[in-house]
Amino acid sequence: MTEWWDYHLVDFLLFSSRVYYRLFAIFNQAFWPVNLLLYLAGAGLVFWVLRRAHTGRRHLMSRLVPLVLAMMWAWSGAVFMGYYYQPINWAVPYVLPLFGVQTFMLVVFCVRKTPLLFCWRGDFSSMAGVALLILAIPVYPFFSLLSGREIMAAELFGSAPDPTAIGTLGLLLLARGTWRWLLLPAPVLWCLVTSLTLWAMDQDIAWLPVVSAWLAILGGWMDAKSGVTRKSASGTDRCPT
Amino acid sequence: MTFADISRRTFLMGAARLGAVTVAGVPFIGTSHGQQVASESGVLHRKIPASDETIPAIGLGSWITFNVGNDPVLLKNCADVMGAFFAGGGKMIDSSPMYGSSQATIGHGLASLGINRQQVFATDKVWTRDEKGGADQISQTAENWGISRFDLLQVHNMLDWEDQLPLLQDKKNAGALRYVGVTTSHERRHDLLGVVMERAPLDFIQVTYNPLDRAVENRILPMAQERGMGVIINRPFRGGHLTKALRGTPLPGFATELGAQSWAQLILKYIISHPAVTCAIPATTRVDHMRENLAAAMQDAGTNTNTNAQYSVLPDEKIRHAIITAIGNAL
Repeated sequence: MTEWWDYHLVDFLLFSSRVYYRLFAIFNQAFWPVNLLLYLAGAGLVFWVLRRAHTGRRHLMSRLVPLVLAMMWAWSGAVFMGYYYQPINWAVPYVLPLFGVQTFMLVVFCVRKTPLLFCWRGDFSSMAGVALLILAIPVYPFFSLLSGREIMAAELFGSAPDPTAIGTLGLLLLARGTWRWLLLPAPVLWCLVTSLTLWAMDQDIAWLPVVSAWLAILGGWMDAKSGVTRKSASGTDRCPT
Repeated sequence: MTFADISRRTFLMGAARLGAVTVAGVPFIGTSHGQQVASESGVLHRKIPASDETIPAIGLGSWITFNVGNDPVLLKNCADVMGAFFAGGGKMIDSSPMYGSSQATIGHGLASLGINRQQVFATDKVWTRDEKGGADQISQTAENWGISRFDLLQVHNMLDWEDQLPLLQDKKNAGALRYVGVTTSHERRHDLLGVVMERAPLDFIQVTYNPLDRAVENRILPMAQERGMGVIINRPFRGGHLTKALRGTPLPGFATELGAQSWAQLILKYIISHPAVTCAIPATTRVDHMRENLAAAMQDAGTNTNTNAQYSVLPDEKIRHAIITAIGNAL
């Protein structure tokens, strides 16, 4: 009897890169300008986080960021993954729960008593976080054009799963506190899944999501080692509780 | 028109054409004449060993290419490919529950083109390890195609073949299915395939075969001939990688003698010239490639200007070796 593990990774890739990237084109066209507005809202929010992380309105920001991220994960999971991606990839139902769990967790962080606090600490995690946000927001949409595809096929932060997951990892690295790591597994797992998919499709950017996940884990480990997740205002920690 | 009508007509037409071609001094080579006839469309037909029915030697696969989801542009594109396939005399379309939305794409194409059920040799697979799940999966597959009965159902990659083959045999015995088979696209499963071929009464096997992947020549193809099993060839172009690798490389001189105008045609001629092969099922997203694939099995692809004789359709053993060498040298 043949077994499931007798297959190779490419045996499970049953769609072409042409069809995969067309999904983003028809998704963006169908929900124009919703996806663009989500992208701009996300970009604006991140800009606000980076500008105001150590000044006022942090309380509002700590509620608004997880709320907007929850909307993005719910939108990306339900509409892109559920409606557009699932018909060509029978494995989608197995990863859809990641999007549901992440949405739920972000809503919990939005309303819980001790909110997420975002801050620029000037350490490795902060720099890695900004790098991931730059990759997810201004850079990722241009991969479409660089690869010769139409601009409407751009993968946008807030609606496309890959930049949304990478951007979420970036924001988590800019946050503080131990509980934030509860939000890490879903984007990390998605980054691994999407890297494998892109690798099977022979895409040059296949390594980006998995490296993003690795950076987030490394940043978390360095935060834990330096005690930055626990210590209060002092030195470079400009994010007092 | 029924299958029986087509068989009778294609047989008579084929016999006449075969005679004409033989008189012209260019007989079909590499295959016993009893296995093949030409049809009115000009596409070479092969006899299904389990019956006297014939089918075109070029079919249409749907792996990857027809998995296009809900994209209306790509659905239309696939319907156009199917339209060119049927217009060119094609008949066998193959899919699987494993191929994402490919079955639904085929259903969409059949409906939008208004294809008569008799025009298509509907071939699909059962792919589950749930011993009770095969029947439900077949029902869903039929719904996706928009048909009530398949011509051929195969156990995909022989997954749970001990449970699924009896289910298919029962359907065949009940008249709900015409042929039964198993598939694999992996050389590492050839030992198991040999066992299944020995134990089960199969009408068809489906395997990978092309000038680079020739493992089936040693045991599987001779076994299929000996046991009267039809052979469907998947991955003739290695999922497109082979023709992509050969792109830009000049064709060998003997390609002209065969009427081959592309590497794809040369590869298909190599495949269907094996006497055990019933049908090759290349997949494509392009209408021009679909026509090109069918033309590889056209009897009257052209005329040799030097000898004023018709091209031979298929290569003989010597030319088959030359094709392998030419591709080996080109890569």
